Amino acid sequence: MAEERKSVLRLENITKKFQGLTAVDDVSFDMKERSIYALIGPNGAGKTTTVNMITGVFPPTTGKIYYRDRCINGMKTFEIARLGIGRTFQNLKLFNSMSVLENLMIGGHEMTKIGLVNFCFNFGGSKKEEILLRERAEEVMEYLGIQDLAKRNVKNLSYGRQKIVELGRAMMTGPKLLLLDEPAAGLIPSERKEFVDIVLRMFEEGMDIFLIEHNMDVVMNVSTYITVLNFGSRIAEGTPKEIQSDPEVIKAYLGDKYQEIAAKERRD
Amino acid sequence: MKEKKNVKIALLAALFVGLIVFPIVDKNTYHQLALAQTLVNVIIVLGLNFITGLTGQMNLGTAGIMALGAYSGQLMVQKLGMATILTIPVAILMGVIIGYALGYPSLRLKGVYLSLTTIGFSEIVRLVITNWADFTGGTTGVQNIPALNLFGLKLDATWKLTVFLVIICAVLVFTAYRIVNSKYGRVFKAIRDNIEAVEACGIDVAGLKIKAFTLAAIFGCIGGCFYGFLMTYLNPTQFTQDLSANYLLMMMFGGIGSVPGSVIGATAVTLLPEFLRFTKEYYWLIFGIITLLFAIFLPYGFISLFQKEKREEAGIFKILNDRKGKRKNAGVPKSGGMR
Repeated sequence: MAEERKSVLRLENITKKFQGLTAVDDVSFDMKERSIYALIGPNGAGKTTTVNMITGVFPPTTGKIYYRDRCINGMKTFEIARLGIGRTFQNLKLFNSMSVLENLMIGGHEMTKIGLVNFCFNFGGSKKEEILLRERAEEVMEYLGIQDLAKRNVKNLSYGRQKIVELGRAMMTGPKLLLLDEPAAGLIPSERKEFVDIVLRMFEEGMDIFLIEHNMDVVMNVSTYITVLNFGSRIAEGTPKEIQSDPEVIKAYLGDKYQEIAAKERRD
Repeated sequence: MKEKKNVKIALLAALFVGLIVFPIVDKNTYHQLALAQTLVNVIIVLGLNFITGLTGQMNLGTAGIMALGAYSGQLMVQKLGMATILTIPVAILMGVIIGYALGYPSLRLKGVYLSLTTIGFSEIVRLVITNWADFTGGTTGVQNIPALNLFGLKLDATWKLTVFLVIICAVLVFTAYRIVNSKYGRVFKAIRDNIEAVEACGIDVAGLKIKAFTLAAIFGCIGGCFYGFLMTYLNPTQFTQDLSANYLLMMMFGGIGSVPGSVIGATAVTLLPEFLRFTKEYYWLIFGIITLLFAIFLPYGFISLFQKEKREEAGIFKILNDRKGKRKNAGVPKSGGMR
């Protein structure tokens, strides 16, 4: 069954060296369609570096990256985004001088077609386009439950709300694959739950999700498949259950305590 | 809401009519020239606002852009006998050329490196104009620029040119206002705010920067073109680095990123010397002090006095608010943020 599903994101022997430092060392994995794939590991393991290579922020030193069997090495960030890969950032990257609505509308900029010269003369068309874009943004805000915040400036929102806005902006690009870099970091439990619910809902509606996360609660409950990195290398791969009981993962990342807790949870 | 908008439109229409009537009624050439010079500066600052104000790319090459816009048309008139009206499309074409030819390589650079490139560009233009004497007239420049001829209607008096400038300026202000308040203005601002995030949205940042820069160059060249007709002569000493800095100042003075701000800033800084004439040799000192005060207390410019959100951030109000806050919260420890 698992073998029949198509590959969404495939990394083949990816290595990234920054001068002397090998941030990612010969990492390969294959993310299948209809999955929530998690990449976990201690700080400095190379997770964000991996996402940055996937999104074309910098090229891998060696190795190939495929998105739906199409090699995306050497493509620019915006070209990769246009293929349908949306992302959020570990440290929020919002447009701080603007309102929530405007932030979302920038996310949808690429769905507008009127060029600059045409814009200067085509009054009706550009107005219609703006209305369309606004409506789409309003839909997304409603989906995320932040429609009340539309006019608020993003920088005055709480951290949790800002994370939702960033997710909304990624949704506006109409992605088929969403890369979330530590979405639950810095959220209080109720916000975390809200975020997880949204992500699960998006997954159910057909989006594939690639997740980097430290919060084991989130990772183990949400993801369908996990790859564990440590010092740039892959040390394990498998379903959440397999990962939880993998001795090497426990040693490098989860810690002995976690095994006891997990075992206890299983008994309950 | 709608009523307020109508009032605004009515006021703007009244202003427009007033500006058209003014040079016709007031026969004082000095006043007409001051108005015309203001309008030229408004056009150029509006352009600069796209690349520096909105997109956040420091452009210190405005003088060079203006010079190319002015010289290209006038030289074609003088050497090829081109009709004067065609200087305007030539200026626009020149703007597009500058936008792409200079924008493409230099906009890959960031921060000070970009500023240095634009300064370099401006200086190269000035030096070429100065030293290629056979073609450009060297330091004597282009003399006796003929009046602009609008398909038989000769704008041979300052007031006629000024009226035409009011119309052109109004069209450009309107266009600039539409662009700033559209998806383009929005993404330009987004580039200033956070460039990586813009790319992650699938937007071609390099292409947009070139668009913003081209807009700046087109507005700058049109401004330069009219500057030539207004002065009736061109020479390289007009296009120094001072001029570029002056345009930046106008933008800062009025309000970075805002069309009304650009208009107010250009007007204020153009007319200020006339109002401060009584200060004589102390003029630059006083001008400098005013500029400094603006930079400290109103970094978002004059226009921020009218924008509620920006007003709270403006230096002077921040200081006042902090004072108030301190008195109120005396003794209460400041709570640390989530981050």
